[in-house]
This record gives sequence, structure tokens and C-alpha cells, in this order.
Amino acid sequence: MKRARILMLIAPVAALIFLFIVLPYVTVLMMSFRAPAEGQPYGAGFSVEGYRQFFSQSYYALSLPQTMGLGIVTSLVCLLLGYPVALHIATAPKRWRGLLYGIVLSPLLVGIVVRSYGWTILLGNAGVINTTLRNLGLIERPLPLMYNEFGVVLALAHVFLPFMVLPLLASLQTADPAVRQAARSLGAGRFTVFRRVTLPMSMPGIQSGCILVFVLAISSYVTPALVGGMRVKTTTLLVVDALIDQFQWPFGSAMALTLAVSAGIVVLIFARLTRIRWS
Amino acid sequence: MGLVTPLLSLLRALVYVFLLAPIVVVVLASLNAGNFLTFPPQGLSLRWFWTFLNNDVFIDAIVYSLILAALATAVSLVLGTMAALYFVRHARREAEAVRIAVLLPLILPEILTAIALLFFFYEIGIGTQYKIALFTGHVLMTLPFVFLNVTTSLQGRDDAVELAARTLGASRLTAFRRITLPLIAPGMATGGVFAFIISFDTFGISFILKGTGSAPLPIQLYDYLRFNFTPEAAAVSTVSILLTLVLVTVSNMLFGRD
Amino acid sequence: MTEVSLLSLVKSYGKSTALKGISLDVGHGEFVSLLGPSGCGKSTTLKCIAGFEDVTDGKILFDSKDISRKLPEDRDIGMVFQSYALFPHMTVARNLAFGLEMRRMARSEIADRVARAMDMVQLTPYADRYPKALSGGQQQRVALARALVIEPAILLLDEPLANLDAKLRDEMRGFIRDLQKRVGITTIYVTHDQNEAMTMSDRVVVMFDGEIAQAAPPEDVYDRPASERVARFVGNANILDLAVADQADAETSLSLPGGGRLAVTGGADAPVSRLRVMARPEQIALTGPGEGHIDGRIAKRYFSGGHVEYHVDTDCGTLNVLCPTTQNVAEGANVGLSFDTRRLWPLPGAAHVTAEPAA
Repeated sequence: MKRARILMLIAPVAALIFLFIVLPYVTVLMMSFRAPAEGQPYGAGFSVEGYRQFFSQSYYALSLPQTMGLGIVTSLVCLLLGYPVALHIATAPKRWRGLLYGIVLSPLLVGIVVRSYGWTILLGNAGVINTTLRNLGLIERPLPLMYNEFGVVLALAHVFLPFMVLPLLASLQTADPAVRQAARSLGAGRFTVFRRVTLPMSMPGIQSGCILVFVLAISSYVTPALVGGMRVKTTTLLVVDALIDQFQWPFGSAMALTLAVSAGIVVLIFARLTRIRWS
Repeated sequence: MGLVTPLLSLLRALVYVFLLAPIVVVVLASLNAGNFLTFPPQGLSLRWFWTFLNNDVFIDAIVYSLILAALATAVSLVLGTMAALYFVRHARREAEAVRIAVLLPLILPEILTAIALLFFFYEIGIGTQYKIALFTGHVLMTLPFVFLNVTTSLQGRDDAVELAARTLGASRLTAFRRITLPLIAPGMATGGVFAFIISFDTFGISFILKGTGSAPLPIQLYDYLRFNFTPEAAAVSTVSILLTLVLVTVSNMLFGRD
Repeated sequence: MTEVSLLSLVKSYGKSTALKGISLDVGHGEFVSLLGPSGCGKSTTLKCIAGFEDVTDGKILFDSKDISRKLPEDRDIGMVFQSYALFPHMTVARNLAFGLEMRRMARSEIADRVARAMDMVQLTPYADRYPKALSGGQQQRVALARALVIEPAILLLDEPLANLDAKLRDEMRGFIRDLQKRVGITTIYVTHDQNEAMTMSDRVVVMFDGEIAQAAPPEDVYDRPASERVARFVGNANILDLAVADQADAETSLSLPGGGRLAVTGGADAPVSRLRVMARPEQIALTGPGEGHIDGRIAKRYFSGGHVEYHVDTDCGTLNVLCPTTQNVAEGANVGLSFDTRRLWPLPGAAHVTAEPAA
């Protein structure tokens, strides 16, 4: 009886997740094997037509490696930009930490549409950056900053940087400062301490940060749509196009699942390459 | 070696600028007096805020988003707190499974979850009618944030306080209301604020599941931005940023930083 | 004042049994300690008495009334937790008032009682502080006052001193004991520290593996342990395994390796060939070689301020000897060892380990 009362605490959430996460994902999986049809989302019976359609048309198939590349580059940019910041916050005096933390988290408080919009204002041909450079006489024609991979990666890196900094910060802060002091006492210089102690010890943070940013980046819709102006075709954009605009549910589902499985493989390879033996 | 430290400081400063720039730029753009998003702005004016205030589409969208966020947050707060209580106090071997299950909506790509929900609701014959799918999606997206925050505030706590209250004569309910609830209130407040902001800003779920009729603010803004470049969108964005700031500030004042 | 009786308490979690039939009577105003290693069931027993765990079988009586099925809040107990479990969001005074508010007492009455309780634990100046702003010892006293201010039928203490540093622990021991005597409340105290149990209790209940190994006054548990395990758990014990030379009614004569004899009172009921006897380190004295019961050689010497501890290699194994510092012998020296024969205790064999019924 006591146990039953305790289980009531978790029952609603368990039901929610099962009904509205597990079952719907099963539905997608089944949908991807449905037969295509004209004039309605899907036809009778099952087939692998959706998958065949995706892999046989280079327009669609090639978007997959391109999307993966976009995700990987975004992760790397986030790591390069985020690491010094995380290190800074981790070692900053307490009274500054709150403010710096706030700056890092601030993008999260602003909707993804607004943030992407901000980038279009900055990167457009008549945008802040191009106008400033032109007024300074540094360039004659506007630089192509938007509607290309560069702009999309930059905006994605901005949107997801907090998701890199937070795990990095967590792993840097759990590391006992005495370990660094121990390394110094054993004769290591500051740079050596960083390379041999701090960096390896923050590996769990690097790992989870990169995976998080990668997954978020390849599945994002608004940023590539607004900053890329539909000219950078990511698989996610194509999926939404197939499902919502073209009403081809089996094809869209097959594409979405292929994307998810590919992402899973990339993540697994990455986790394998950066395997941590000591934790 | 002597050059490394200043270079690093410069890089850091640039990252902080990079983080803030798009937000600052949106706010500045909303004060532009000109007809288009030009730079430098053609004078300062609040005219785009007036345009926006007279635009029913955006006002409706903001009201709609606020109501949706409030309802989704309320449901998430109750369910997420219950799950957190179970996870911290009672879960044993199944603890990790519970944690992953509750965090699934956060781990899985939002757009894929949205599509999955769309199909599922069509399969059971409801589709996007009555906004049920949309609401469910928002509850799912906000649940992990309540769970994470309440879990954190519970984990730092001594379980025995509730037992102590019981030995002093408090019933299970009284002990929860007088002891546990005040202790997790800051965690619930932070989780609630997070949940509200996530719901208010989330795109993928709303985009796929909105159905016909009025749409939440991010969708309305996105539709507008695809074809328009007036500073009105910047004014709308600024208002949405301000709303978020007010919410965070008020909750900080009420519950303190935890 | 209340009398507590545990009648064959059994507590099982699925297949594992935490309590295998605990029976114990605690008298009016008595201070009883449950002592044992972790996992012995002492905390489970306390949780059953408090009502945090349902008993699988058996009964708990307060003044002959069965309360086994009552909710914790209806049992009229005061409890002090290892972590103190003070309400962090309430001041000291509000913490003390909580239990009285639950009893729907009048405001003025509450204020009055809280003031008296705060005076009792010398915390009056801290009434408006939050627990976080107090030292460990002060938090401990708040917890104690909070449990006592409701004037409960019995007081339960769950390792209350475990989180204090050594000096404070000694201080609090005396404080708790004095307070308990003054209030005269029936008290059950759980600890894994044998010193604590000895110094504070009227009676010590030693528990192993979900069973009571011995329940007796501290002197008895120390000098006359019911088993070798109790002997080793309660203080330092030298155990000598000796051959029986002669067995009379009240006295048993044992042969020592050097050819000497050792007479002990009591011993086995039935004729046996060997007997294990216990000698505490302070019950052995150092003598010149050949002058004591057996001879040995000092293997190690540890000076600890008030005493010197010697590890002496003998034909009966290495024995621990505790001497006053006036008696100083160097490592490696040959010595004799003399036993205090009146206090040598023949250990009952494994078959004799019984849960001694409480007095």
C-alpha cells in the first residue's frame, strides 16, 4: 500500500513519456516503412520506398554528409570559443563569476528565432558588419557573410555555445584545484599543467559538450532557415519540407530516421575516439 | 609565452561580445526610426513599438504564447516535482532509467519529437485539433527543466527533516506543506521560470504542431521574417526579451538566487 | 514516563531480514543504548519504534499499549537525528515551536515553553538565528531541545554525536546524560561507538546481524561479555585459548604454556577440554621475567599520554597490555605478565551465545 502511494509520484510522468515519446517514435519508425501515395500522406501496406527515394536522389542523399559536416564544424567552433571562457569563469573571482555566467547563459533567455534574426541583422549585405566595413573603406562590395555555410555555422555556434560552456564548466569545477597545485609542485610549468592535467581532466566536459552541440546543430531548423535563407540545405530542412509542404510522410520519416541513425553513428565514433579510461 | 596571456584575454573578450552582439543588435534595431533595417540607424524612435502594439497578429501571438507557457509550466511544475521527489527519495536501481526517461524530451532532437507527436496524434484521430498535440509537446519540452531544478534543490537537502516533522506530530501532508515545499520552492521557481521561457521561445514543437488558426509568437515572428525586413520584428523581439527579463527578475526577487 | 516493550520484532526487506526477532523491555526513565556495527539492525530497530518502518512481525508497546500500527506523528516520540534535521528555513525558536504548533497549543503557551526549552539548552541568545548560522554543537542542542520541548513519551537518539569533533563529543555526552536524568525521560540511543554507549547508558544492548547479542549494564558487558564477538566489539580484548587441567564446581584450573596454572571462577557447565578466557589490557600487569603467570617479550610500545600500551609476544600469542606511564619498559625487553585472576572471564562457547533477557 505504501509502495503504491510512492509509485503514484512517478506514474503520471511515466505515462506521459510512454504515451507521448515512446509510442510516437514507434509511429515514426513504422511510418518510414509505409508505402507512399498521391494526394494523401501515406498509402496502404509497407515498403522501403521512402529509404530508396532518399538514397537514390543525390539532392537528398548528399545533404546528409553536408549536415554532419556542419554539425562537426559547429561543435569545433563552439569548443574553441567556449574553452577559454569556461576556463575563465572557473578561475574567476567569485564576485565576477555570477556576471560572466549570466553573459554565457543570456542567449538561452532569448528565443532562437530572435537570436537567428539578430544574426541576419549583423551579417546581411546591408547589415551591421558589411556597412561598417564599407564605411571604413575596407571593402567595396559586401562580403558574403549570410546565406552560406559560414553564416549558418557562426549563428549556430552562437545559439549553442552555452551548451558547450556549461558542461565544460562543470567538469573544470569538479576538478580538485589541489591536483593542479600538485602538478606544479612536481615541477610542471603553467602550460604543461594545462596540457597534461587541466585539459585531460576536462575531457568528460569536452565530450558531452561536443555531443550536445552536434546533435542540437544538425537538428536545428530556424537558424539554417533564416540565416541560410534555405540556400544551405540541411537534412532537417528537407525533412520538414517533405513532411509539411509536400505531405510525403513515409519519405520524410525515412529521411528523419536516417539522419538520427547517422548522428548516432557519428556520436558513437566520437565517443570511441575520445574514450576516457579513468572515469 | 609573454604574448599568450593577452591574446587569450582578447579572445575571451571577443567571445563575450559575440555572445551578446546579436541580442544587443536586435534591441538597437527596434529603436530605428527608418523604414528598413539599415545601419547606422536613421535616428531613434519608438514608432515600431507603436506599429507592433496596433498589430493584432503579434499581440494575439504574444497573448497566446503567454497563456500556453503558463499552462504548460503549471502542468510541468506539478508532474516534474512529483517525478523529482520520486527520483531523489525513492528510486533505487531504476533511478538512472527514470532520469533518462524524464530527460528524453531534452535529449531527443526537438523537431523529430514534434514530427513523432504529429504522426501519433493523427494516428489516434485527433491531429492538431483542439491544440492538444501542441500543449502536450510544450509540457514535454518543459518537464525536464522542472525536474532538473527540483532534483538539484532536493539533493542538497537532508531527507530527515521531513521525518523530524513527523516525529513532532505533523501529518504527511503537513510535513510536505510546511517543510518540504518551502525548501524546494526556490528550485521549483527556477524550474518554473526555465519552463516558462522554454515554452515561450520553443520553435520546433510549435512549428510542426501549431495547426490552423492563431500561432505562438516564435512562429508568427518566423513567418513574418521570411518576407519582411522592417524593424517591427525587432520591436516584437525586444518586447519578448523584456518579458523574459521581467520574469527572471521578479522570480529572483521573490525567491532569491538558489 | 513511559515503558517501552519490543516483542519479537521482525523486519524483512524482500528476502533479507534486518531484524530477526528483537525482544527488549526499557523501563521508566531508563537510558538504553543500542550498540553494534553498521548493518546490525540498531537503526532499523529505532526506525521501527519511531514508525518510519513498518514491522514485518512482532509488536511495539508503549506502556503496554500496542502502537506498532500507528503513524509516526501519533506515537508521541521525540527524536534527534544524526544530521540533526533542523528545518533550515526556520529560526531556532520556530524550530522549537513547530511540534507545539502541531499540537495546536495556544500561542502564549508555545512562547513560554520555547523560552524554557531554549534556556534549558543555553541557546536563548540564538533564538532568532537560522540553523546554518550555528556551530555543530549548537545545532545539536537545538535538535535536542526541539525533541524535548513537546514533552514526548520517549526520546530516540540516532547517532547524534557522530558529526561532532572529538572534544565536543565528550562535552555533549555529559550534557545529554545530565539533561536526560533531569527530565527523567525514557531514552533509546543508537550508536556504533562503544565508549559513548558505556559512559551514557543504564543498559547497553549489543546487536549483531539483526539479533541482540547481550543486553546488560555497561560494567557487565565490558567485564562479562556474552560472547567472544561482544568481547572484541566492546573494547580491546585479549583472548587466551587454554587447556583445562581441572574442573571443579565453581572453579576451573587452566594450564599455561610455561607450566603455570590459572584459576578462573565459573566456566563451562559441562566438562570441556579447552576454555577461552578474556583479559582486558588493563587487567594484565607487567612484572619481572619469571615473576608473573607467563613470560613474554615487548614487541611494540605506544605512549598515549595517560597510559603506555605494550604489545607483548608470548606463547599464548601477542597480548595487549595497558600500563600506567610510571611503568616504563623498552621494546625488546623480557617481561613477565600477571593476570588479575578475579576478573578473568571464561567466554561461553558458541552454543552458549544467548540473547540475555532484559532485567
